[in-house]
Amino acid sequence: MSLALTGTAPLLRTTVRFDGRLYAPWIVLVTALTSTSVLVYPWVFPTEADRAGLAAAIGSNPALGLVFGPARDLSTVDGFNAWRTLALGGFLAALGAIFAVTRATRGQEDSGQAELLASGVLGRESRLMTAVAVGLVGSLAVGLAAGLVPILFGGSAAATVLLGATFTATGWLFTAVAAVTAQLGSDARTANSMAVGTLGALFILRGFAYSIEAPAWTIWINPLGWMTETQPSTGDYWWPLLMAVGLAAILLGVAFSLQARRDFGLGAVAPRPGPSRGSVRSTWRLALRVNGGPLIAWAVAFVTLGLVYGRFATSADDILADNPAVTSILAAGATTPDALRGELLVTILSLIGIVAAVPGVQTMLKVRFEEMSDRVEPLLATAVARPRYYASNVALALLESTVYLLIASTIMGLLIADSDLGLTFDQVLVQAIAVIPAVWTITAISVTVVGARPQARLAAWVGVLASFVLTLLGPSFGLDDWVLAISPFWHVPVTTFGSPDLSGLVWISLFTVGFLVLGFAGFRHRDLAR
Amino acid sequence: MAVDRVIEVEGLTKSYGRFPALRGLDLSVERGQVHGFVGPNGAGKSTTIRVLLGLLKADAGTVRLLGGDPWRDVVALHRRLAYVPGEVSLWPGMTGGEAIDLLGTLRGGLDESRRADLVERFELDPSKRGRQYSKGNKQKVAIVAALASDVELLVLDEPTSGLDPLMENVFQQVIGEAKQRGTTVLLSSHILSEVESLADRLSIIRDGVIVQSGTISDLRDRTRTTIHAALDRLPAPADVPVLGDVRIDGNRLTATIDSASIGEAMSVLTGYGISSLTVEPPSLESLFLRLYDEGAGDEAPR
Repeated sequence: MSLALTGTAPLLRTTVRFDGRLYAPWIVLVTALTSTSVLVYPWVFPTEADRAGLAAAIGSNPALGLVFGPARDLSTVDGFNAWRTLALGGFLAALGAIFAVTRATRGQEDSGQAELLASGVLGRESRLMTAVAVGLVGSLAVGLAAGLVPILFGGSAAATVLLGATFTATGWLFTAVAAVTAQLGSDARTANSMAVGTLGALFILRGFAYSIEAPAWTIWINPLGWMTETQPSTGDYWWPLLMAVGLAAILLGVAFSLQARRDFGLGAVAPRPGPSRGSVRSTWRLALRVNGGPLIAWAVAFVTLGLVYGRFATSADDILADNPAVTSILAAGATTPDALRGELLVTILSLIGIVAAVPGVQTMLKVRFEEMSDRVEPLLATAVARPRYYASNVALALLESTVYLLIASTIMGLLIADSDLGLTFDQVLVQAIAVIPAVWTITAISVTVVGARPQARLAAWVGVLASFVLTLLGPSFGLDDWVLAISPFWHVPVTTFGSPDLSGLVWISLFTVGFLVLGFAGFRHRDLAR
Repeated sequence: MAVDRVIEVEGLTKSYGRFPALRGLDLSVERGQVHGFVGPNGAGKSTTIRVLLGLLKADAGTVRLLGGDPWRDVVALHRRLAYVPGEVSLWPGMTGGEAIDLLGTLRGGLDESRRADLVERFELDPSKRGRQYSKGNKQKVAIVAALASDVELLVLDEPTSGLDPLMENVFQQVIGEAKQRGTTVLLSSHILSEVESLADRLSIIRDGVIVQSGTISDLRDRTRTTIHAALDRLPAPADVPVLGDVRIDGNRLTATIDSASIGEAMSVLTGYGISSLTVEPPSLESLFLRLYDEGAGDEAPR
């Protein structure tokens, strides 16, 4: 072992022991995703007719393709598993890798742990090498578990193992991406945001490219496109994974050379002196300031999202017309083109709404982060009452989600109004406004968690996760309405035709108010920084 | 109405889960005084202060601060006090100057000329970002932010733990000036010399209770003088009941003694032929070490 890597082995052992359990949820999550596909499919769709119905249901809502990618073959259990889990499983594997790498690099530098380690008998490259190793090994574990366990439940070996391999390859790729962003960002949060932003952008572009049947090169320049092109169960190509491994190796080289150039604890961009007098003089301005970077980054993301989904929606009619299953439903009079378009618009806007809740939840979790970093204590030792401090942050969380949704839907509306889809700008915007209460409900859950039970930090994501699963996966599983109704987005009425029923929105808003009250009461009455 | 008390705490208890941090703490601070709040690491100093600031809720006991309830009357009380936390954490991307202005404004405004004066005296560069400051400089930001406001009460939690000796001097001066303006100061510390030179009264906390409280001279009186003597003949300890903790090493005798009975001891020892004699005045240091030592073994988080 070279001198620069001295100490990697013992450090890796310690890191795995202490950080390993933080990786476990990702392994479990992805494995559960593939295993349930294999378990549930023969049970929910036992006959050929059921399977054809599934293909028609999914084909008639092209918005699903934006998330899941192409549905190549839904008539076999392996094809179904590949459709349902390839994109999402890879996304989760990548998230796990990104968080692990950032935690073991930037996170340690921020907390000062790294300084203790770096002063010990440790080579210059050892800490980064350890972080990379955790990402690589963790991703391998995800791929092995998710690629082998479903075989026990009846998945075919070839397709399932390849599916697992795409998760590993995606994890490796984003281990390398995170190793680079850890050198560029000046703290853990920035490093994470940059890596997750890259993942999100590539994910959306892949879905978009497949949905509108864009030219092949748009898929091949996107590393996530390589994963889809392995075509588990319909093609079983292994060679695209080699490209991912090659790219990961190149990025790792970049990360190590960047690390050699930068000073400990600092990013590639050196900080400049700032103003010696302050203009931030209220808790509201402070909330804006503390969340500043992400606020701008998300705004850019939602402009992009609006462009992509708007462009997609304008081609929806063609996509629907190309689908034989849809043509037959329409011919049978089971639905109307208006209804299909309305449902499609609600699905897209719900999807954007769920994504728009993410920055809101992040803002609320930032409150907890600030609290645990001892920065809330001096504020509350001034004449600021707890409810006022909390209200500033809650207002920001709700407002940013709203604004982001409106930004994306305005751009979508402009594109749609300009097309021959038959929907006006006003119709799109009114439908977007009808989605806002649902976005607030899932953001409000994080207000409750951070206010009343901040120790259960992950619970803040429950609303986002449940809505995502139920809204996008629920209908194709033929779940009962009462299960689907758990998602607030199920209550969003179609406003583009007929007379919309707004009572659902009133109900979910009552829940929103309840969550907010619980959150404020909790924050008012609990011990701080405990 | 005898004395105006700014802080009155009686029987305060606070537990974290099953771990008791404070077990029946009494504390009283008079207006206009600098009150030293001293104790070993983990004795409960910061917990007490956080309860006083309404950041933690007391489990039991009564707590009055500036005549109000620190949990209920948060805003009204906090307008009248300023706080320097033990662990200063600044916003990483915000400059020190911005942090001072933010905290000052939220408290209800700061005194511009005093702000400028403090920045200069503490040699603080207010244009650096939070993440660039060293521990001591972060502390200076917090001290300037607290002292730049006109308040009745300063709550300082180990405020000088990262300051160099020069800055420590400046700190002593500014606290002295604050006292002259009539500000009450609660100064928590585990550094004796700092408290000794500033404080009018002291409360010593250990394991979540106050074990000693009084003026500096009160506490001094409660400690014993140490004598070292070289003698021609050595007495049996029973012959000199006035001496305590007698240790004998060759012809040297070391013992402790009540300050009031020094004369008596001298006359007794003279009979044994004194060839050299040192009398050490009572030191708080020895009182501290004794009190700290008794508590060793059951460490507690702050």
